[in-house]
Amino acid sequence: MTYHSVKIVKGNHGWGGPLIVKPDEQKKYVISVTGGGIDPVAQKIADLSGGEVVDSFNNPVLKEETFAAVVNCGGTARSGVYPKMGIPTINTVAITPAGPLAQFIKEDIFVSGVTVEEVESSKEDSTFQSTSEPTPSSNDEVKPTNDSGFLKLIDVVGKIAGEFVNTFYQAGRDTIDTVIKNILPFMAFVATLVGIINYSGIGKILAKILSPLAGNIVGLVILSLICALPFLSPILGPAGVIAAVVGTLIGQQIATGIVPMFLALPALFAIDAQAGCDFIPVGLTLGEAQPDTITSGTPAILFSRLITSPIAVLIAFAFSFLLK
Amino acid sequence: MDILTNVATGFIGLFKAGGKVFMGYMTDIIPLLISLITAINALIKFIGEDRVNNFMAKLTKYSILRYTLLPILGVFFFTNPMCYTAGRFLPEKYKPAYFDSCVSFLHPVTGIFPHANSAELFVFLGIANGFTKAGGNQTRLALLYFITGIIVIFIRGMVTERLSIFFFKRNGNTEILNQKLDVNDLKKENAEEA
Repeated sequence: MTYHSVKIVKGNHGWGGPLIVKPDEQKKYVISVTGGGIDPVAQKIADLSGGEVVDSFNNPVLKEETFAAVVNCGGTARSGVYPKMGIPTINTVAITPAGPLAQFIKEDIFVSGVTVEEVESSKEDSTFQSTSEPTPSSNDEVKPTNDSGFLKLIDVVGKIAGEFVNTFYQAGRDTIDTVIKNILPFMAFVATLVGIINYSGIGKILAKILSPLAGNIVGLVILSLICALPFLSPILGPAGVIAAVVGTLIGQQIATGIVPMFLALPALFAIDAQAGCDFIPVGLTLGEAQPDTITSGTPAILFSRLITSPIAVLIAFAFSFLLK
Repeated sequence: MDILTNVATGFIGLFKAGGKVFMGYMTDIIPLLISLITAINALIKFIGEDRVNNFMAKLTKYSILRYTLLPILGVFFFTNPMCYTAGRFLPEKYKPAYFDSCVSFLHPVTGIFPHANSAELFVFLGIANGFTKAGGNQTRLALLYFITGIIVIFIRGMVTERLSIFFFKRNGNTEILNQKLDVNDLKKENAEEA
């Protein structure tokens, strides 16, 4: 089997790259982590390179045997997970680095906004050297001082205080980063949505549709069952967007009194039956699970939701009387 | 001309309403969020990952801890998506159940500890904002969401554990089922890798 290099450049509004990937005897798989079969981009990479393409939801392979991952992550998790594991990552959604793993999303291992147009054969060798361990940063070491007694004490106190302040400063920096990159954009989206719904009168129409579902406990159990359907849940999952939108709509109904207040708690569980169902193979890989575990574990989790989601809503319903 | 003016007013009105909602979020939610997340981020750095890892490795033996305290600690200290890495402390056959209970806690945690999954805050906030507007106590809702969440992830862990064992049997993965359960051994192996 001969393998060829494949060059992938960023697409419209995309970021990162260009990546040049090439399979070899040990790393011969390109995985498609898109939740709906094999993505055309992954297929084309496999066709051009001579590697094999697998759908990592149905047929997980070890990360050590993977030379590239194709994801469709509009959020932040999957885009960062594979770069962190040292696997070149091709995102079909145009995103820029953000989120808790942003530090791993670099131009030499990540490219986004990719369609089949951006994948082409290449003569160059792989630009990415796997297992590129980050070189340990050599902090400028503090020279041991020979001063005794009092000066030493000042030194120690100063060091501790410095560390304390630095840790807090860094924590603040991380926080502002999260607020700007993750929280504010979502707030902008939700605020605009709520504004349009309230001002235009769409809210009243939605209330008619939603109130039979969200307005009583039977409806909420049905809602949770719909969200937990094994063929729907992986599609509804990504980044909690759908749960957030449905939640905001139900929140509006609670605010206007159409949905009783105490149903807020069971509603929280009803809209969340699908949480993480799009993320099962990735999450299990992060827990260093073997491919066989992922193959059996994925249906186990999907079917478990059908049982546990209505139970969750009912438990929340039992507790909801504490809200009254 | 009047019609045009009305259309334009309506159009701008849509986004004025959106802007008002946004300003409300900015003044009500963001300031609290920033100081809370900063404090917790600092706390996590002070405690340190190693200590949490060592402690977590000890919790894996009992199912009640495996599907309650373990995911709670994972979510609190490592946040989404790194919380799943704690699955490495477990034998293969428990990994799907751990993932399921861990991922199911990622929204119940946000009411009180928004740092753990700040990108998906609105799953909670969407409903909680409406609840507050109707005169409810948001902290109480957050607390109940947290407590109910713990019960739910425990049940979910147990159910998924049974179901995954069923699927392991059906797919003939006996080597996973028979894998030695000596958690201490496992811990050592994985700790070296990590």
